[in-house]
Amino acid sequence: MRYGTYLVPAAVVLTLGSLACKPPKTAEQIKQETQAAFNEGVQAFKDGKARETNPYVNDKENPHKMQGWYDGWDKAKADKDAADKAAADKAAADKAAADAKAAADRAAAEEAARKAAEAEKAAAFKAAAAKVLVNIHFDYDKSEIKEKDRAILQGIADFMKAYPAAKVEIEGHCDERGTNEYNLALGNKRAAAALAYLKTLGVDEARFTTISYGKEKPLCTEAKEACWSQNRRGEFKLK
Amino acid sequence: MTRFLIRTFLCALAASGLFAQQTEVVLSATSSAKLVLGMTSPKVTGVDEASVASEFTAVLKRDLDETGVIAMLSERLPANSAPVKAWKEAGAQWLLNTKLTKAANGDLQLEASALDTAAEKGVFTRTYNANKIVPLRYLAHYLADDLVGRLTGEKGVASSRIVFVRQLSPGVKEIFQVDRDGAGLVQLTRHGSLTLSPTVAVDGRLAYITYKGGAPEIWGQRRKDGPHEKFYPTSGAGGMLSSPVWSPDGKRLAFVQGDRRGNTDIMVLDLATNRARRLTDGNGINTEPCWNPNGNQIAFTSDREGGPQVFLMQDDGSNLRRLTGEGQYNASPAWSPNGAMVAYVSRFEGKFDLFVYKLGEGKAYQITTGVSTSESPAWSPDERRLVFTSNRFGSSQLFTSDLSGRQILRLMDLAGCQSPRWIRGR
Repeated sequence: MRYGTYLVPAAVVLTLGSLACKPPKTAEQIKQETQAAFNEGVQAFKDGKARETNPYVNDKENPHKMQGWYDGWDKAKADKDAADKAAADKAAADKAAADAKAAADRAAAEEAARKAAEAEKAAAFKAAAAKVLVNIHFDYDKSEIKEKDRAILQGIADFMKAYPAAKVEIEGHCDERGTNEYNLALGNKRAAAALAYLKTLGVDEARFTTISYGKEKPLCTEAKEACWSQNRRGEFKLK
Repeated sequence: MTRFLIRTFLCALAASGLFAQQTEVVLSATSSAKLVLGMTSPKVTGVDEASVASEFTAVLKRDLDETGVIAMLSERLPANSAPVKAWKEAGAQWLLNTKLTKAANGDLQLEASALDTAAEKGVFTRTYNANKIVPLRYLAHYLADDLVGRLTGEKGVASSRIVFVRQLSPGVKEIFQVDRDGAGLVQLTRHGSLTLSPTVAVDGRLAYITYKGGAPEIWGQRRKDGPHEKFYPTSGAGGMLSSPVWSPDGKRLAFVQGDRRGNTDIMVLDLATNRARRLTDGNGINTEPCWNPNGNQIAFTSDREGGPQVFLMQDDGSNLRRLTGEGQYNASPAWSPNGAMVAYVSRFEGKFDLFVYKLGEGKAYQITTGVSTSESPAWSPDERRLVFTSNRFGSSQLFTSDLSGRQILRLMDLAGCQSPRWIRGR
């Protein structure tokens, strides 16, 4: 009786306590429940209700069900899918590369065509320039533009308007008669006369430069009028 | 046929000029009389006799002949050892004795003495020492210059040089220098482009125009023997540039700048400040500036009254007046070193001739005549001769003439020369 004071309440507590707590699951039970979760999953998969999300994820009390759940995972299929995907990716990459190459080829072809067109344009420009940039001539010790050279200057003005990027240097030249220095000044006067006339034809004078060579660069070196008249000239050179 | 005859006539004229010993110098500022000089053969020690004969004796004789104040005794020469009296009887007023010695190390010594044959006393003694790199002919030049200096009070010009432009190929002209006797040709610039209008300051600094950058630029030397550098334009484009000319003090450079309206003006560039000032404002052409020896007046060519004529003005552009009267085309003025004369060219019957305008008399004298053209006169430093270009023996060669126009000598056989300037060599 003396020990009963302690044992009775302890027995009561143990009894009540064991009644209040659920009995622990046996291994067999766990195995069965795991199998059941698996079967349920298989059935769902068969029914076409396969879900990627495991319904037992939040069932903290039965974690074994989460382990047993069948989500339709198929290694062979997964491997095949992966292989297919890689193949598809590769095909896409190949196609992109092919497309890029085609585009580059097209661009190159366009560039070549553009270059050809440019060259053609430059050639046309050169040809046009060669056609209009011909010499004008002056009388002895004179710098007035002659009547017969007006058409040449008109041609140059039209050329400058047709090719707005063109820039031209006007050279003034003289025959051998007269001093070197005076002829340099006279050549400057002749270049200026041509410039002034082109300005009256409506070409921006900033597109011309002038330079005088006096009698330092003759075309013809014999001492006769046929030669001198060739040397008294204005030349036009593309810049 | 006519042409052949004319040419023969001209050659004869030139030849007669060469041998005319007693040519009267019509326009010489000093006396026109010449001193007759006898010369004994040099006493030579250690130098090859043949080279002395060609490089010294012949050079000295030619130098003295061309001075215009000395006539070399060349006929009925007494023997080398004859007494002074014999030389006097032969016509010599002075007798020149020379002694050339070559030392063992190659250095040369020239002892020269001149004797007045009438008074039989020495009038000139001088010793020249030269190391072996100095050519023998330079010793002859120095002696000739000093003899002329003893005689006239102003050193001769035998050792002077001529700077000029020569065409190397079409469109390429460079500046050259040659000794006054046509020897020692040296190329001074190598720009590979048009290089024109040389001018040489008193101390030897060169300035000129070059087209090496595509457009004309003024280049030159800021200090003696210094590198060639660009003077003008200091930045940007300068337009048409020509005719740089050093002022007599070598501090300023007169030059010509043209604008895009066809006008060209005389400018003066101050080398110390790099500032350029315009002196003319004429419409039309103003070119070929040329300083007077004081550096306070400028002669130039202008077409302000129609054709080209020579004008004078102060160096600030004031006091403008026309110098040349006759002729339709007068240009290329060159003020004489003493300031009393202005040489220029004038067109007559389609070709150009040299004239000299004497400022004191207000009259012009014709120097050259002929069927071929003569251009670009420049004065010798002693004012006795003019160097110029002429086409008389082909295309544009250099000649010198005395002021009578009778003694015309070709400087050398070199075609395509222009713009000569005559400078002292030492």
